[in-house]
Amino acid sequence: MFNKVLIANRGEIAVRIIRACRELGLQTVAVYSDADRQSLHVRHADEAYRLGPAPSRDSYLRGDKIIEIAQKCGVGAIHPGYGFLAERADFAEACHEAGLAFVGPNPSSIAAMGDKAVARATVSRAGVKVVPGTEGEGALRDDELLAVAPAIGFPLLVKATAGGGGKGMREVNNLESMPTLLNAARREAEASFGDGNVYLEKLVEGARHIEIQILADGQDNVIHLGERECSIQRRHQKLLEESPSPFVGDDEEFRQKIGAVAVRAAQAVNYVNAGTIEFLVDKSKNFYFLEMNTRLQVEHPVTEMVTGIDIVKEQMRIARGRCLRHKQEDIHANGWAIECRINAEDPYNNFIPSTGRITHTLLPTGPGVRVDTGVYIGFEVSPYYDSLISKLIVWGETRGEAILRMRRSLEEYKILGVHSNIPFHQRLMDSHRFMAGQYDTRFVEERFSIEEAEEGKESRPEIAAILATLVAHRQTERAAHVIQRNERDTSNWKWLSRWERLRR
Amino acid sequence: MKYVTTIYQREFIIDILDEHQVSVDGVTYQIDFMPIGDQPVYSLVVDGHSFDAHVYPNEDTWQVIFLGALYTASVEDEREKRLRAALAGRVAEHADYHLKAPMPGMVVSIPVHEGQVIQKGDVLAVLESMKMQNELRSPRDGKVTRVRVKVGDRVEQKETMLSVV
Repeated sequence: MFNKVLIANRGEIAVRIIRACRELGLQTVAVYSDADRQSLHVRHADEAYRLGPAPSRDSYLRGDKIIEIAQKCGVGAIHPGYGFLAERADFAEACHEAGLAFVGPNPSSIAAMGDKAVARATVSRAGVKVVPGTEGEGALRDDELLAVAPAIGFPLLVKATAGGGGKGMREVNNLESMPTLLNAARREAEASFGDGNVYLEKLVEGARHIEIQILADGQDNVIHLGERECSIQRRHQKLLEESPSPFVGDDEEFRQKIGAVAVRAAQAVNYVNAGTIEFLVDKSKNFYFLEMNTRLQVEHPVTEMVTGIDIVKEQMRIARGRCLRHKQEDIHANGWAIECRINAEDPYNNFIPSTGRITHTLLPTGPGVRVDTGVYIGFEVSPYYDSLISKLIVWGETRGEAILRMRRSLEEYKILGVHSNIPFHQRLMDSHRFMAGQYDTRFVEERFSIEEAEEGKESRPEIAAILATLVAHRQTERAAHVIQRNERDTSNWKWLSRWERLRR
Repeated sequence: MKYVTTIYQREFIIDILDEHQVSVDGVTYQIDFMPIGDQPVYSLVVDGHSFDAHVYPNEDTWQVIFLGALYTASVEDEREKRLRAALAGRVAEHADYHLKAPMPGMVVSIPVHEGQVIQKGDVLAVLESMKMQNELRSPRDGKVTRVRVKVGDRVEQKETMLSVV
């Protein structure tokens, strides 16, 4: 049994894990790159150690260094968070060899689910349906993929074997465009994962991305915590998640059916700890296994809000060898939760990532609101890591209340210094299709445009004009103060420095 | 002080009468305008209606965000407007386009070479930042010149990567 945990991650998720440890009375150890010395996870932890320079491969991906630090400071367990080393079987194995508990599944489960082709073969054997594709056929060459593509049928997806998060993924609509797209996918996969292997998968049209949260204690108890709806995506990156799913709604029979299949998929690899099974669900409620994420998910808070279960604390308890505190029949969703991922991106400029110093931030608070973040005023958003600034999560008794609460929280939320996608989420909350729960995984890219959504909205250009004019006028007046010489007793240099300080 | 402020091709004549009064197209409003905490955030009360806005400059315009919407405003005093009217039509129509990095990042690919004739929409460079690959496309037809970066280079925000003439 351990009493001290090293968190091998950064940003909001490191802060989230430290919070769970604190509440459990566990000591915490943070690790950081040179870019993160001032980060919140370093400041909140009991101990903190430097890993190396900013790039991930020199810092957060240095498993050897992380284990060395863990051993030096008497840590009993390592929590990998998500991304970085979270789904690396070799790292989990190295932890075990070093006598450290890995807060996650066994290396064998990570390996089985990590290679998607192997994962699909494994769950099919357990009787779980998968999407048609080149599953389990290993690394195929371009000519082999081109030969098999017509049999799968278009449109189809090219996906990276070692992939995730939409990297190395391309949609193909016909055979002619396939060679170019294969090339692009391989290039991106090679750059992101150091592995250019890809496979093909039939594109399920009108599909919803619905996933099931699993908890397993390694003592034959496996339960699910219901579903999360993650169909609001852009370029296969999730932007908003909710639980329950408006598509599943009151259909408790379907929920238990898909939940039981998820449990079966987890059992197929002797899964331990928290994990997520992702499904594609078509209009007729046929569902297909997509992949299993053998780690904590970014969107885990929506499940926590409706079930009342602290998933990170459960992960710690499981890693300490305890059995689950809940049985399947104890799990009930209460109300509705929605999470918006607040990214440093410019929604008015093709979602281009934005970097810079956070000069001002005002967090939404009040009933039913939760913000998981790692940034604060003065924090530098660097180009080295992903663009997630924070997660804004709200809870409501009903979906309607949750949407209205999200709307007012987004209006309260101010982040200055970098662009954020808050206006995108605000427009989404106003969208009738979203309100009605009628959306699939292509909604954002095909049916939603922030510019069009703004056109329909009641617009106040005269107020904007007054604001812009007053601010411009104020600036002109200030500049004039500096230019008018000899009208003051202090020197111009002093004035200049005061003026510059004002502008900061 | 009189200004002409343009938002989406609509012109507003705005006269700042004193600290608490402005007129917009001849209609006078009572206002209370205040910056918040030395930040580009402003509180504006217009005839009792309260607005909280983020206003910041972007090149020649002002970006105004409030109630979840973005407005791009250009503010000119009357002298500036006359000056611009006089200059209109004399600005070269086919100015060189300099592709500037929209964010700091690493050059993953430059699918064009110097002297290559390209069309509007062609990919000029692929830049990786925050683990995303972003394709940067040409806004017009032309010929590629002065490629200043190569694959693997790190670029700073607004650094010129290549030009199209």
